[in-house]
Amino acid sequence: MSDALPERDADKALAGEYALGLLPPDEAVAFEARLASEPQLRALYADWAEDLARLTDRIDPVAPPPQIWAGTEERLFGSRGRVRPSAAWSGGWLGTLMGGITATVLVLALIVGADLMQRGPSGPSDPAYVAELVSEERNLILFAAYDAQQGTLFVERQSGAPAQNRTLELWLIAGSDAPVSLGVLPDARAGVIDIPEALRPRLEGAALAVSDEPEGGSPTGAPTGAVLAVAQITNT
Amino acid sequence: MGDRRAFAALYQATSAKLFGICLRVLQDRSEAEDVLQDVYVKIWRNAGQYQVNGLSPMTWLITIARNASIDRLRRRRAMSGDSDGADLQADPAPGPEARAMAASDSARLTGCLGELDERHAQAVKGAYLDGETYADLAVRFDVPLNTMRTWLRRSLLKLRECLSR
Repeated sequence: MSDALPERDADKALAGEYALGLLPPDEAVAFEARLASEPQLRALYADWAEDLARLTDRIDPVAPPPQIWAGTEERLFGSRGRVRPSAAWSGGWLGTLMGGITATVLVLALIVGADLMQRGPSGPSDPAYVAELVSEERNLILFAAYDAQQGTLFVERQSGAPAQNRTLELWLIAGSDAPVSLGVLPDARAGVIDIPEALRPRLEGAALAVSDEPEGGSPTGAPTGAVLAVAQITNT
Repeated sequence: MGDRRAFAALYQATSAKLFGICLRVLQDRSEAEDVLQDVYVKIWRNAGQYQVNGLSPMTWLITIARNASIDRLRRRRAMSGDSDGADLQADPAPGPEARAMAASDSARLTGCLGELDERHAQAVKGAYLDGETYADLAVRFDVPLNTMRTWLRRSLLKLRECLSR
């Protein structure tokens, strides 16, 4: 640029131009490259993005037609099941509230989820118990590690996947009791399952099993499909 | 499935706001519908990158919607050879209600824009909400492009200084 601004000021103006979408393409690319490595520049950009977003405050919300959600789901998830946006949130004071504060919480929930999907969670560094579930033909291998402090079970699908339109469900078998569902395994390769407090003391010496179930898990509360693998939980 | 439920709830809570933005920028319902779908696909796919950019969640969503709409608008203008932004509409002046929100961020921005030369404030809004480029702005204010850019950069610094006060 021809106007000689001190460097810090030049960056402030540059970050504003970038946030407004005014930079010529080559300068925008160069700016993005710097963003990746310069936290100070990121902060300058974030300030502009926050402040300029206020220009949308007076734009009236308009409910999009319902087919937009259906189309979005179709593009992202194909025809595998549908999640209906909860009707409870669609109007009234709750809707207003959701549009404000709670949206933040939801973005964070989504981010935590998506983050896990992308990078995958890691297992506890010091698990109390572990189990390795291997199916007879070794086409499904699950590794499970229990974090006693968090009360969570980390589960990693090391090989295999559920059959099409089916889910894998994890069961706790303690002594001679009937299997208790620990939940369906996440679509992602690895995930974390919260173990209800009442079940935690029952893990020691118990077995884990994984069964093939319809989408959403067993409708009866007991395994309905084939039990693919069973393994003893062992102390570390 | 937990993520998908959160995503559905997020859509429910934010889609009207983001659709309003797409409509405002694009002034075309069917284009706005297309873009809104792209926006949520992006949100789902990029959620993992969110944490590094330092934006608040709502700003992140608004920025994705605004940028996607501006991209579409510019593509449309490029295809129709309409580069002078003839379909711009003036932003309505802030009503008494907006002025009364003295404590809000929105009022802070409005106040700081009010400290700029009126034309420069229009240029900032035109770039953000109507996707005007330096070339568009230079035509609109009838100044050479470089002059336009020098002007606007100075105004941005003034604006930043006011917003940081």
